[in-house]
Amino acid sequence: MPQERKAAAANHATDQPAGQAADQTADQVQDHTADHAGIERLVEGLVPALIAKLGTLNVGELEVRQDGWRIRLQRPPGATPAHGRRLTDRAGQRSHVGHETLGGPPGSRTATHLAAAAHPGGSNGSGGPPLAAVGPGIGTDRAITADAPDRDGADDRRAVRGPIATSPAVGVFQPGSKAVGGTRVRAGDRLGVVDMLGIPQDVLAPADGIVVGVMVDGGTAVEYGQELVHIETGAVEAR
Amino acid sequence: MFHKILIANRGEIALRILRACRTMGIEAVVAYSEADRESLAVLLADEAICIGPADARRSYLSAPALISAAIVTGCDAVHPGYGFLSEDETFAEVVRAHDLTFIGPPPEVLDRFASKEGTRRLLGSYGLPTIPGSVGMLRDDEHALEEAERIGYPVLIKPSAGGGGKGMRMVRTPRELESAIKVCRSEAKSAFGDDSLYLEKWLEDNRHVEVQVAVDRYGHGVHMGERDCSVQRRHQKILEEGPTPALSPAARAELCERAVHAVVAAGYENVGTLEFLVDPSGQPWFIEINCRIQVEHPVTEMLTGIDMVATQIRIAAGEPLGFRQADIQPRGHAIEFRINAEDPAHEFRPSAGVVERYHAPGGPGIRMDSHLYPGYEVPPYYDSLLGKLVAWGPDRATAIERGRAALDELVVEGLTTNIEIHKALLANEIFLEGRMTTNLLDRVGSAAFLAAAARP
Repeated sequence: MPQERKAAAANHATDQPAGQAADQTADQVQDHTADHAGIERLVEGLVPALIAKLGTLNVGELEVRQDGWRIRLQRPPGATPAHGRRLTDRAGQRSHVGHETLGGPPGSRTATHLAAAAHPGGSNGSGGPPLAAVGPGIGTDRAITADAPDRDGADDRRAVRGPIATSPAVGVFQPGSKAVGGTRVRAGDRLGVVDMLGIPQDVLAPADGIVVGVMVDGGTAVEYGQELVHIETGAVEAR
Repeated sequence: MFHKILIANRGEIALRILRACRTMGIEAVVAYSEADRESLAVLLADEAICIGPADARRSYLSAPALISAAIVTGCDAVHPGYGFLSEDETFAEVVRAHDLTFIGPPPEVLDRFASKEGTRRLLGSYGLPTIPGSVGMLRDDEHALEEAERIGYPVLIKPSAGGGGKGMRMVRTPRELESAIKVCRSEAKSAFGDDSLYLEKWLEDNRHVEVQVAVDRYGHGVHMGERDCSVQRRHQKILEEGPTPALSPAARAELCERAVHAVVAAGYENVGTLEFLVDPSGQPWFIEINCRIQVEHPVTEMLTGIDMVATQIRIAAGEPLGFRQADIQPRGHAIEFRINAEDPAHEFRPSAGVVERYHAPGGPGIRMDSHLYPGYEVPPYYDSLLGKLVAWGPDRATAIERGRAALDELVVEGLTTNIEIHKALLANEIFLEGRMTTNLLDRVGSAAFLAAAARP
């Protein structure tokens, strides 16, 4: 684990998608070129999808094997999925933020804020804490870092998480026929409606892609901006 | 009593309402816009729900969003706070149509008092001295000129809706009137969606005194004394205090009694504030009523010990007032300083940004109502109020001393505030002698006012 962390840090510093160790032998170059292509494919396609998935599941670890690669995503120890403040918040489990931060040691509030701000998508129940990916498990010590980078801000968030259709209003969600996993959708397609006082407000697909997850059951109360339907695009679609 | 209340507002008043709900054992849901996700009321709430984007028209001013939020969270009442939809009779009506209770006057009462010009005539008929003004709304420039001539210059152009000094201009000549009307119409239209204007006689060197009343559904009404809000900048209150130094105890008592008598007779319900201008001879003239909880309600709370927000909620729930006039014994003197994100040295330009350091003062008689915390980013979309510092003392001199110490102790870093203007006020001879009029700051300009205070 320490080795992997180190590699991840090195990758970060050179700004490369995956390990570019300088001490490669000639024999390894060919293999590695193929590896790099594979890593790139994974980093751009599968890993973001997995991270998005992990972000929405109540599990700490996710593992996928493909083409001789094994990718395991793990939440850092102690981290739990953060879903933010939702309609399910009730008095019994209330005020996570208020109690933890305002009741905590001085300065903890600011620290929490700074931590959240440094990781796009990490503060409001969407991404949760940064996810560390480990692997790929073919005898190298290379690792794919999935730490949400703060180099490119919002663009990275989209790349890492994939497009999400959010609620246009506060009301009751009713999924449409296209809000089913595996359905191919185009940007602007209606994925369902949110009923606000009897007035249906369309939930629209933000991009072309494939529906990979419907986060909320039909008939559930949702708030404005709540994540409703996850979509995968690009490399994932090609598979 | 209500089971669960939707708080349809933001900032310090959302927090104030949340606190009232806590003490009353009522659940509360804070409705917030995307820009207020990290606001203190949201962080402290049992439950919070995002109702729309930062644009208030699609969040705090959106009746469908607020009512839908109340319904899906299982609320049975909506507290509108102040500003936004707090005095909107249509909103109150729609709230009721969805089997929810609007915490404020019932819709038909709001409707009766909706027109400021009509209210002046209504309460005038119940014995209140009302300020001379136009009959009905101004139809056109010609009508405005006629009415202004009849009332006599100078006159104040006022919008029928809203408050906070928007769409208001004082004019001294027909020529000024014609050009100012256009500006006022467009300001009122953009601020309140209603460009109806009327005229009021402008009193030179007036003072602003208002009476706090509470009336239950059964016609039982009390007053809770008055507040002096003469310290203003361009018709916006900056500092409020009670009791008013402008009137003798006998004159104050008479004014308060006449005010509560008139509103009970006119069928008012819930808490409300009757605003008066007091001319240099000490004669009060009724100008308008505010059918909501007001920013400056803590002044009255400090003097009477009554929780105004809880009183408002209880009346809306149909409970009797539970106390009589004789039970209300105001004590001492209280001063409220509005702490705004504004730069007094630069024409009160609004400022926004991250609160880097925050420390609220304490000590005997000190109260700070604020939604600030270190690291909080003040969004640029809403009003500039950051909090209210209230100082109470057994007399005015002690309240001023405590206020001065508390202002020195208060720390708000990371954005520009108007704290200096309060310090300057507490060094101003006219204020210290209790002789301030509503033009105290505007007469010299706030920059000059600050500079004068800085001189030894």
